[in-house]
Amino acid sequence: MKPSVELVEHPGEVRLRLRAGTLGELAMVAGRALAELELGQSPGPARGPWREVVVSGRDREAALVHWLNELIYLAETERWVGVEFTVSRATETELGMRVRGVVVDEAPARVKAATFHGLRIAAVPDGVEADVVLDV
Amino acid sequence: MPVAQLELVHEVAATAQPGMRVPARVYADDELWEQIGHDRSLAQLKNVATLPGVTGAVYGMPDMHEGYGFPVGGVAAMRLADGVISPGGVGYDINCGVRLLASVLGAARIQAKLHDLVHEISRSVPSGAGRGGRLALSEGELDRVLAEGCRYLVERDLALAEELEVIEAYGCLAGANPGAVSARAKARGHDQLGTIGSGNHFVEVQVVDEVCDAAVAQVLGLAAGQVTVLIHTGSRGLGHQVCTDYVRLMDEVMPGYGITLPDRQLACAPFGSLEGRQYFGAMCAAANFAWSNRQVITQRVRETFRRFFGADGALRTVYDVAHNMAKVEQHGGERLCVHRKGATRAFGPAHPETPEPYRAVGQPVFIPGSMGTASYVLVGTDEALDLSFGSCCHGAGRRMSRHAAKRTKPGHEVRRELEAQGIVVACPSSGELAEEAPFAYKDVERVVNVVHRAGLARKVARLRPLGVVKG
Repeated sequence: MKPSVELVEHPGEVRLRLRAGTLGELAMVAGRALAELELGQSPGPARGPWREVVVSGRDREAALVHWLNELIYLAETERWVGVEFTVSRATETELGMRVRGVVVDEAPARVKAATFHGLRIAAVPDGVEADVVLDV
Repeated sequence: MPVAQLELVHEVAATAQPGMRVPARVYADDELWEQIGHDRSLAQLKNVATLPGVTGAVYGMPDMHEGYGFPVGGVAAMRLADGVISPGGVGYDINCGVRLLASVLGAARIQAKLHDLVHEISRSVPSGAGRGGRLALSEGELDRVLAEGCRYLVERDLALAEELEVIEAYGCLAGANPGAVSARAKARGHDQLGTIGSGNHFVEVQVVDEVCDAAVAQVLGLAAGQVTVLIHTGSRGLGHQVCTDYVRLMDEVMPGYGITLPDRQLACAPFGSLEGRQYFGAMCAAANFAWSNRQVITQRVRETFRRFFGADGALRTVYDVAHNMAKVEQHGGERLCVHRKGATRAFGPAHPETPEPYRAVGQPVFIPGSMGTASYVLVGTDEALDLSFGSCCHGAGRRMSRHAAKRTKPGHEVRRELEAQGIVVACPSSGELAEEAPFAYKDVERVVNVVHRAGLARKVARLRPLGVVKG
């Protein structure tokens, strides 16, 4: 399945509908969608070294939320937005991602948190689909 | 319940959905009730009614709309003995709230300088989501803000000792535990004191457009034609991280407490549990940070007014009220943890927590409209204790998603229309301006009239915007 992201209407907030072939690809497409929301445009090329980001949760849904919250935290505190991703490992409870990003002049934390509200990951033909609501 | 109120109360019985422990009551007229039906807020309120230890009823305010977990404009009280505390019931922006400042200036006096005044305020009060502010704090100083709130700012000459009594809880919740606030939350907040943030946050220069109750307005020090300033912001990245941290923690420990929920964002733990106590301490600390944030902004706006108008530019705090909070309160002889998510405390004259200057009239309540529409000053009522655990709504309430708002009208057109009304706008992003356009919100007049007629609070005055600094 070709990874894709769709913004779904939600009063006041942003709901992402993500589709990808695997859980790892799902995390990648979620990271890219977040970068676009943070930067307000398609991200430019990444610079600097790769960094390893590892998150875990009690299930794959929680791990996806924690992954996005980790990126949000890095953006706000380091003014660093992850834009390029590869998957180190993706299990039912853990995501290990390698990330390269861009440094920005002002912390671009337009997105403040990823939430558990309406959170779902479901198997679909050729892959997985997820809904995540972001607090903006 | 008086007949006049019955037409404004929509009750959903506790038998309506499996797991509901109490009924859900929504205050709305027919039109607002119909609008509430357009989103999932009522379903969310029914989910809240399933939480362990919930008592009485759960309440939806007239501005209720869909949030995550709890609806925005939702109120629920839990028994301390067997009830839970839920970070989702407070929201990400802990102690997001509103402070009203009153000047002695008339609108005519500032008109010639309005454009420069608004833009100078926008320079002295940073906006935007992650932007740091002008008051960066050391670790020790931040811990004092978290523990002592506005009391610490009096020591720093950033607050007047006499204004503490007109801030909810004197700007400091005693239950604050800075040690329960993570290093991550502190990293996000350490340079954000004195900043508005983004979304629907703002600093608005206004004029008292109409006085609805002259006697009460006089007690509040408000009169027609007077210039006021309304500040709407909260605990910034620090509060968001506290919520993120504790939703995560409670999501992980809930199975151990045998709690199952219809929505994971309602993640909670028993109030008396280790996790519940930790969250309460962290939430109180974040609330103190939020009051301090509005206080530092107050000082920045005061400095700006003084530069423009000299001694006549003095600004007095009328009141500062929270609208995302869980507080331990006495109701019906029982101590309860009252969650107000996008809802304001609205205590009447007889309540011991109503501040001394307002004991004759009730605690001030502010209901901001959208940019370009009016905001309202009200006072709480004694009967609201029985109607809604002493709660009232916090704004007009969104009726349109942010994307739908942007699709409906681009930001530059929204800006032009506001300016055509004589409203000066300082907002760095046209996109965000479009998201907060007046048409994206419910009719504030209708919302306030329901509040007034239902007896949740009484109308005192209407404020009209002259200039808006938007985050």
